Amino acid sequence: MPSLPTTVGKVLEVCNNPKTSPIDLDRVIQLDPVLMGRVLKLINSAYYGLGTQVTSLVRAIIMLGVNTVKNLALSSAVLDRVSSKKDFRALNMEGFWRHSLCVGVTAKLLARRRGIDAKMVEEYFAAGLLHDIGKIPLNNALADDYVRTMSTADREGLALFAAERRALGIDHCEAGRIVAESWRLTGAIADTIAWHHDLGGYSGEHGDILRTVAVANFFANREGIGFSGNLYPEKPSPEVYSLLGIEKGILEELVGPVNAEIEKAKVFLKLGA
Amino acid sequence: MFTMKIWGDRGSMPTPGPDTVEFGGNTSCLEVRCDDRLIIVDAGSGVRQLGDKLMREDIKRGSISADIFITHTHWDHIMGFPMFTPIYVPGTKLRIRGPISYEDDSLETVIGSQLSYRYWPVRQEELSAKIEYEQIKETTLDLGDGIYVTTKYLNHPILCLGYRIEYKGKSFVTVYDNEPFSNVFPTDPADPNYDEDAALEGEEAAREENEKLLRFCQGADLLVHDTQYTAKEFVSGKVGWGHSSYEYGINVAHKARVKRLVLFHHDPNRTDAELQELELFYQGKIRGKTSLEVEMAREGRTFTL
Repeated sequence: MPSLPTTVGKVLEVCNNPKTSPIDLDRVIQLDPVLMGRVLKLINSAYYGLGTQVTSLVRAIIMLGVNTVKNLALSSAVLDRVSSKKDFRALNMEGFWRHSLCVGVTAKLLARRRGIDAKMVEEYFAAGLLHDIGKIPLNNALADDYVRTMSTADREGLALFAAERRALGIDHCEAGRIVAESWRLTGAIADTIAWHHDLGGYSGEHGDILRTVAVANFFANREGIGFSGNLYPEKPSPEVYSLLGIEKGILEELVGPVNAEIEKAKVFLKLGA
Repeated sequence: MFTMKIWGDRGSMPTPGPDTVEFGGNTSCLEVRCDDRLIIVDAGSGVRQLGDKLMREDIKRGSISADIFITHTHWDHIMGFPMFTPIYVPGTKLRIRGPISYEDDSLETVIGSQLSYRYWPVRQEELSAKIEYEQIKETTLDLGDGIYVTTKYLNHPILCLGYRIEYKGKSFVTVYDNEPFSNVFPTDPADPNYDEDAALEGEEAAREENEKLLRFCQGADLLVHDTQYTAKEFVSGKVGWGHSSYEYGINVAHKARVKRLVLFHHDPNRTDAELQELELFYQGKIRGKTSLEVEMAREGRTFTL
């Protein structure tokens, strides 16, 4: 599973700098869904044996120390150095990165506006950032088929997950569930990855995060911030908004702040426009 | 019988010479006896003389068998291992445990690679002892014979474990090398790197980790705590180095209702005269305010629990 080429250069730069600040370390890992997932995996795996699931990088950095987290990130990034733009044949990697980041940031801003406990807000972000992680193995392992799947979805006006099921026999939610399992992620992050296109079928305890990410996902697709292959996103039902206690109009107010956050990330990663 | 003897208490590097006679110049090594069972915490340079004693005395009663717990693999905590004579003696059985590492190298490689030709004339493969390595995390181990060892991650630039050894209702705890957990994220909104979420989460995480550490020490009969610096030295350029101050160690012991505290991991530059002065100073400071007994670690000193 490759780390995103968009961020890997910055990861190496930040982690190889002996004077890296904890906040830079936190930022750079948060900007790469693959790296974020892998670092959380390493931290939470039986390897480290910490008592409770850690979903916040800030906490991980304080518990395990800047050096340990830095080296974890570095070893993940170095392992993945071989990956290149060629690995993203169907999905445009920068578009995918921007979409993932947009959903994470939007979920976090929605949580904050709704007055969710500050300790929980990072989990909303992580769930949003990682929700489409299942697309990476589909894109890499089944690249040619995935190109065809995306054009089928486009031609027939299908949501991407439905086209995936038909063409590949597996959708990115199921693929993501397998990734989450191998990363030993549980709870809200794993549930969001597996259920974000089937809110009605979900009966677990993380419905609030799941619904928030679904709304954020719709918002990212509607606004065209990044692109993860889904031209026909399903609209969240009115019930989703009412369960979250928000009006659809709140999304209009988020356009500015979300774009500002993404711009900040781009400046940090020194990406071009 | 539950005893602990100090064979090395110096931090960072052995410091032989006329200024380190009373408190000792060897790096970390503690010998713990639970009746017939031998537990060794760390294999710093002090483990050489412990090995020699085992060869003079214990070997008469049969082969050496020991559980060795390594707090972390920084060099001052493992450097004595190649000179621990029992590793060259057939029949010796050692179970070496220590924290896992984020590197791919195993504990066996990190400790055992000191025994390779580039560093030492004998290779690890040539050792006569039977040595088993086990990488451990936060856990409680049942060593048999009613001995339990609980571990806790400490705050050091490398993963480092504190050990709590319990036997016959008594407990001995090590908390070194350790710096108090602190919020490493900026908390001043005027700081250009300020992030409100990180600041809040950081505060909470540091508080919780320090509380966990207090619980880890709770009610210990004997606590060996990292006190490499004075509080003044700590704030003057030593933050982030992974060590504690005397003031912090004493406060932790007092709050956790520890009975006896040993101030440990002496700075390599600290002379006997300075350590004597500091010992008297801190003993004086707490007199009449706590039932806690405090003393500086001295090489060769034995404590009975």
